[in-house]
Amino acid sequence: MAASKKNPMSKALVRRETIAGYAFMLPSLVFFLGFVIYPMVQCIITSFFDATMNREDIFIGFANYAELFQDTVFLGALRNTAVIVIVSVPVVCIFSLWVSSVIYDLKGAACSAFRCIFYLPVVTGSVAVTVVWKWMFNNYYGIFNYVGTSTGLLDKNINWLGDEKYALGCIILILLTTSVGQPIVLYVSALNNVDQSLVEAAEVDGATKIQCFWRIKWPQIMPTTLYILVITTINSFQCFALIQLLTSGGPNHSTDTIMYYIYYNAFKLYRYGYGNAMGVVLAIIIAVLSAVQFKLAKKD
Amino acid sequence: MKKRKIMAMALSCLMVLSAVGCGNDSQGGNASGSATNTNASAGGGTTSQGSTQAEGAEITLWTYPIGKWGDAATVDGLIASFNAAHPEIKVTVEYLDYSNGDDQINTAIEGNQAPDIVLEGPERLVANWGARGLMVDLADLWTDEAKGAIYASVESACKGNDGVYYEYPLCMTAHTMAINRDIFEAAGAMQYIDEASGTWTTDNFIKAVKAVYDSGQANVGAVYCNGQGGDQGTRALVNNLYGGTFTNAEHTEYTANSEENIKALELLLEMEGINYDASIVGGDEINMFCNGTLAMAFCWNVSQEKNNLDKISFDVLPMAFPSTGDPKLCGGIWGFGIFNNGDEAKIAAAKTFIDFMANDEKQAVESVKASSYWPVKDLGNIYEGDDLMTEYSKFVPYMGDYYQVVGGWAEARTAWWNMLQQIGAGTDVKTAVEEFVTTSNAAAKAQ
Amino acid sequence: MKNKRFNRSTCYKIFAVAVITILAIAFAFPLYWIITGSFKTSAAINATTPQWWPEEWVMANYQKLFSRQVAPLWEIHIPFTGIQFAGPSVPAAIRWLLNTVFMAVVAMLLTCATAAMAGYALAKKRFLGRTIVFSLIVCAMALPKQVILIPLLREMASLQLYNTIWAVIFPIVGWPFGVFLMKQFSEGIPGEMMEAAKIDGAGEWKTFYTIALPLIKPGIGALAIFTFINSWNDYFMQLIMLTSTKNLTIPLGIAKLQAENAMDFGLIMAGASLASIPIIIIFLIFQKYFTKGITMGAVKG
Repeated sequence: MAASKKNPMSKALVRRETIAGYAFMLPSLVFFLGFVIYPMVQCIITSFFDATMNREDIFIGFANYAELFQDTVFLGALRNTAVIVIVSVPVVCIFSLWVSSVIYDLKGAACSAFRCIFYLPVVTGSVAVTVVWKWMFNNYYGIFNYVGTSTGLLDKNINWLGDEKYALGCIILILLTTSVGQPIVLYVSALNNVDQSLVEAAEVDGATKIQCFWRIKWPQIMPTTLYILVITTINSFQCFALIQLLTSGGPNHSTDTIMYYIYYNAFKLYRYGYGNAMGVVLAIIIAVLSAVQFKLAKKD
Repeated sequence: MKKRKIMAMALSCLMVLSAVGCGNDSQGGNASGSATNTNASAGGGTTSQGSTQAEGAEITLWTYPIGKWGDAATVDGLIASFNAAHPEIKVTVEYLDYSNGDDQINTAIEGNQAPDIVLEGPERLVANWGARGLMVDLADLWTDEAKGAIYASVESACKGNDGVYYEYPLCMTAHTMAINRDIFEAAGAMQYIDEASGTWTTDNFIKAVKAVYDSGQANVGAVYCNGQGGDQGTRALVNNLYGGTFTNAEHTEYTANSEENIKALELLLEMEGINYDASIVGGDEINMFCNGTLAMAFCWNVSQEKNNLDKISFDVLPMAFPSTGDPKLCGGIWGFGIFNNGDEAKIAAAKTFIDFMANDEKQAVESVKASSYWPVKDLGNIYEGDDLMTEYSKFVPYMGDYYQVVGGWAEARTAWWNMLQQIGAGTDVKTAVEEFVTTSNAAAKAQ
Repeated sequence: MKNKRFNRSTCYKIFAVAVITILAIAFAFPLYWIITGSFKTSAAINATTPQWWPEEWVMANYQKLFSRQVAPLWEIHIPFTGIQFAGPSVPAAIRWLLNTVFMAVVAMLLTCATAAMAGYALAKKRFLGRTIVFSLIVCAMALPKQVILIPLLREMASLQLYNTIWAVIFPIVGWPFGVFLMKQFSEGIPGEMMEAAKIDGAGEWKTFYTIALPLIKPGIGALAIFTFINSWNDYFMQLIMLTSTKNLTIPLGIAKLQAENAMDFGLIMAGASLASIPIIIIFLIFQKYFTKGITMGAVKG
């Protein structure tokens, strides 16, 4: 940017850059505009209508939005979504950083083996993993209750997924296991790439391990941390399969997220306009968050 | 240099286009109907050019798991006999399940690829998709002959509020519950049961559950409340205990908030051994009954026993729901409905298919037998010598009012689960039930 | 003093490795359970006391999985003629696997190709409207697809792409995270190298192809892995867009198996094994690249 301000570009150059720029952008823009922006615009338009299956849409202005903020289920879903993101993002980052800091300098195959194992739930896929978790959480003969009651940790069986108190926690737990794999892989490589000469110099100067970590290593792995923050946030917002397959948003909407509630309104209650209004609200929240996150990251 | 750039751009554009092109023809290709030599084609084509004559029509049939109609091997056999008589019509079958089936059809409707024929009951065909104007009027199938043969109670369930027939029925059953006879016997609870008629009073039910619970069976029964399917079991249980009703007699309003129903829901909440379980769906309950975890199943009928024979290692005793008077069992009436995909040829072919499956003298028996339920008209004793069917046939007379055609059914069913979940989580029963009725009645009005 | 600290840190290390080993066992457990479960008898699976190691190994679950439904292995449609060819009938699960691989590979290739070009343009070209496009991309980057569920479904229906694998692929390609990532990588391309290429008379494409592309290759690798795994696991789009048995993907297929046979765990686990084994093998083979990719080009904010 600075360079271009010093020597203002000639009109011809601007034109050339613009043509080339858009030519390079074109294939991507086709998909981006066609399958993200166009539906988003449609989404905004329909959110002002009372739209349902096989009937002309009726214009109702902001009624959907007005209803949204009195819908306790929606507000609950908004809260659940926030809880999932707020809990899982830091936990994933801290946990994976801790694991990586322990395993990255292990000798031989150990590091690679650990890395693989933590990556397994990611590649196994959430649907396949869910099958096992559903069984593990089973109220009657699940492994948690079996181990819990036979070791005396639990007095009686807990209905993990059927109890409002635990269900969301269980979902977050599964989400964590399927999310830490990639961050661990990334952190291990980042830590291995830290400039060793700096670390050694600091050690000679008498820095403790902890000082060494925060002063030398942490700044160097900062870009990785940012990347991890972004992908974990994206993944946490996309948490849908777990909810659809395990609890369907229940019990009593305690595991509803906005994403699931949109689906629920569309295909169980046939309220398309209302679902779209929710989508718009969520999109605005996420867009603002992303923009803020990006601005903050840029300042650093 | 310029040339290369242009070429690169052209290449990338081509890539995009070809991708779209491929996508398109995998859809449009089979719809145009000429020279198809494939053995399985995509779900109902969206374009209709080329298949305007009845011959060569390709139709799609989506079935819910109604007895063996959910089993590919059985259905293939039925289709084969249809094709022997009508080789010109090709039928592609997709199998739905009760947890996702509705969502799947709803997305398909929005995706313009609704199936041609669906095999299900009036609560979906008539009250839901029919009421939304998506189904074809089946008046041609409902000839005077058909009207004379099919039982009147079934006929009225197949008609919408507008008097249009949206379903052509095939089979029916009465949903029962079942108990693990071995466990009940061991607990000395059989004394509370009238085994011959398969009935019990509410008081005896309470005593029996207590006896079983005291014998060490901590999980006697579960009011499953997580999912879409099997709602008839929980509804019938609640309604029967103290003689409550689900809707009014005209099927215009939900009456689940009556005192009887509230009392029943409270009773279930208090009973030891029975818990509201929001982590399982009807299917899970059946499986846990079959593997001996639960001593009772509320989501039961004859085909559950038939389909799970290899998993059951105990004596299953089918029972009517406990009640203060005569039990009123929830009926199931299953039949065919046709989605209006705007293609006359397909609709005609679909009608031919239904007519063959439900009315052909020889085939109708096979079609009904595949469901392992009972015919909706007199076909003679088709289950001669089948002990299991004979055992269950005693429940058919207990069949109650078919109220599932009330408006707003899809919403009400969703709200029903949520109500049970709320009660299980400790919400006051009256509050939860009132909320359910308010939501459902609003949905019924809106329709 | 120094020695003492050394000891303390060794103790910590041993303790930490022990904890991580326990966690690793917990992480490996689901997969272990899926694979062993797929070989268990139904009695062993449904036993109320878990059977940690199958006492009896059976193939029945796989036989059941493969004998359930059939689908043609492949189908080719010749555009505009209506002529189509279908491959031999195979168990539907095989077709699902093939669909999933096709979907993930095509989504990956398209995403990498389009995102690399677009990211390069955003980072290095000063064109009009660049800021607007980039802001849009940043805002849409983390958007869950559920938000546009209904409009997207209707759009696919009107493009006649509903119930084809392309309805799943295109939205993945359209998702702008890849462009964002590639832009961040492309920022690192030194301007002097591009200037030098220009002076040598290289055109736009050649500059991109010979200068930029080799430099952002690690980034493309990272994006490829990210896209491949994400699209493999993109259960939601598959659920919404695909209905015919022959068009299903393997995650969707397993979810359906689970719904249809609520607790035939053996069958479900056979399906789950089939779904996870190929991708685990891919992961093990390409492990090196998985890790190498992202490190080399550090992502800048």
